Amino acid sequence: MPEPSFIFGQFVGGLTASMFLFVTAVGLSLIFGVLRVLNFAHGSLYMLGAYLAWQIMNWLGPGPEHFWLAALGSAVVVAGIGAAIERLLFRHLYGREELYQLLFTYALVLVLADVCKIVWGTQQLSVSRPLSLSGGTTIFGTLVPHYNLFIIVLGPALALALWLLLHRSPAGRIIRAAVLDREMLGALGANVGWIYTGMFALGAFLAGLGGALVTPVKTIVPGMDVEVIVEVFIIVVIGGLGSMWGTFLGAVVFGQVLAFGILLMPRFSIFSVFALMAIILIVRPWGLLGRRLTR
Amino acid sequence: MKRSLLLSLAAVGAVAYPLAAIAADPIRVGYPMILSGPGALFGEPSLKGAQMYVDEVNAKGGVLGRKIELISRDTRGSADEAVRVTRDLILRDDVQFIVGTLTSAEGPAVSPIARENQIVFIAPITKTDQLTAPANLHPYVFRTASTTTIEGRSAAEIVAKWNVKRIGTISPDYAYGQDATKAFIEHLKKIKPDVEIVDQQWPKLGEADYTPFINAQMGKKPEAVFSSLWGGHFVTFAKQAVPLGYFKALNHNFVGAGEAGSIESAKAMGPDYPVGIWSNTYDLFDWPAGPPAHKAYIDRLKAYTKQEYPSSWPITGYISMQFLVEAIRKAGSVESDKVSKALLGLSIDTPIGKQTIRAKDHQANRGQFWGKMKMDPKYPFAVMENVTYIDPAPFMD
Repeated sequence: MPEPSFIFGQFVGGLTASMFLFVTAVGLSLIFGVLRVLNFAHGSLYMLGAYLAWQIMNWLGPGPEHFWLAALGSAVVVAGIGAAIERLLFRHLYGREELYQLLFTYALVLVLADVCKIVWGTQQLSVSRPLSLSGGTTIFGTLVPHYNLFIIVLGPALALALWLLLHRSPAGRIIRAAVLDREMLGALGANVGWIYTGMFALGAFLAGLGGALVTPVKTIVPGMDVEVIVEVFIIVVIGGLGSMWGTFLGAVVFGQVLAFGILLMPRFSIFSVFALMAIILIVRPWGLLGRRLTR
Repeated sequence: MKRSLLLSLAAVGAVAYPLAAIAADPIRVGYPMILSGPGALFGEPSLKGAQMYVDEVNAKGGVLGRKIELISRDTRGSADEAVRVTRDLILRDDVQFIVGTLTSAEGPAVSPIARENQIVFIAPITKTDQLTAPANLHPYVFRTASTTTIEGRSAAEIVAKWNVKRIGTISPDYAYGQDATKAFIEHLKKIKPDVEIVDQQWPKLGEADYTPFINAQMGKKPEAVFSSLWGGHFVTFAKQAVPLGYFKALNHNFVGAGEAGSIESAKAMGPDYPVGIWSNTYDLFDWPAGPPAHKAYIDRLKAYTKQEYPSSWPITGYISMQFLVEAIRKAGSVESDKVSKALLGLSIDTPIGKQTIRAKDHQANRGQFWGKMKMDPKYPFAVMENVTYIDPAPFMD
């Protein structure tokens, strides 16, 4: 039996990974929930967020807390890019077959990957963690970096904020109406077009934020777009596409299965995640907390 | 009799004419390389080094009076794609030689194509022992890269000098990581029998979150760790390991193979680099003990790439092209069989010193630079101190 401090370390490690991914995954889930488009390019927006965070850091110059400006700034810019993509391109996809949506968003993945390569090259880029969170605290014998603690708190806070937005605000009522019946909502005079743009921008914001927040613990490299989209897909499939709390649960399950899978099957921990996804797709295709699709 | 003489004259004429036409043509060399995706970070500078050498040779009139033309193709880091573009280079672009491929999946996949088409293939980067293992060796495959055996054993030579017994490893779970780690452990046990392997972690290639592996390893309390996490994988790993106190717990008794000490990784991490660890690199722009030829090469490279601190990867392409051209010169021909024979035992003076391709396994005695990483106020990133070029000749099989 491993030491308790070690088990705790694994748990915290898994939770950190979960919450990093949740930020990005919930964006994908929200976009799907409202727009009914599975955006393959969501990982590309995440990558854009990471590169932009580095870029803004570079413009700002050295400064212990510039990271926060960079992270927020990059997420806002990615939201703007998302809004533009929705208005100019996605607009034409609604109501088309899924295959076209898939092909289109995949094309977007390739285009954005090349854009990043042209602008930032192929070199590895890295961002330092903000000075205020550069330390660590020992909890139950395990050193937990403050930045990781921040992410662990941010995840649930973000989930709560999104829940309040969707369920306790006037805007949320309209958004939920758009999920249920977009035609009826349009007939009632709401501008469904702008609701869609807003939701896509919000989803893009979360993707960009996820990408920016991850830069202090990861390398910014070409290919991080595809890497993250796979993980994020697993999470939303496990939790249920379009379900916010499902995505949260999916992220937590993903992180813990991975962290403890390493203990049980050191070389096959990634397999356990895929196996879990396969089982859920067979037994409960709409995910743990998702709703059966009706159309 | 007379008629047959005429016929043969005609035949000679028919053959000689296109030969004369070819003589003015450039020698075409195919360079399949990763030019997109994460691997392009190394593939692109490697191609640049090859191109720089080609430009230098062409400026001096080429070889055998013919210029060299380098034709590159993007393998996108996949063995299937590497095979496809290599076939394409041979069939459509009519290349006479293949130099290239990067990963330990691409090299062994392309080698049979070279054998099938009887075209000389030189691998500048692929390290897996499999490429030139007896079962896979054929007259046309050569390697100017280091190997997993050389790399693992070099690291073992370093660790053997440390006062440590409990050893751990953390390496990517695929051919390269497994082979290098195995070579490290076997050689270390041989030269320092009292060591104990207390932990082995195998994150998948491209793992995004190393935290659980780092925790698991720290739980086993090793005194020293060998790793073959390379490129961006090492950077991500180190960024996650530093705040967890990993390197401190090891007293920085960590040896990062896989070019963790290359300028690419050092630059990416800047002040966050876990200084004090040991690592290796293919090349470095500041090698105080190096020969004048190396300094001259670095100066040319700086001018060619317009980079103040040039990449450590152009040397891979540069040396492989150098071997090819010198072999063509020695053979006095571009025929595959003659060039392939000329490569056996060929010794050349490269920017990093004398390199020889052994006749028995078509492998160059290619070592790497090893040293301890430290911060130098002259540079905004970590550099190697007490750089040593470890010549693998004494411990190659």
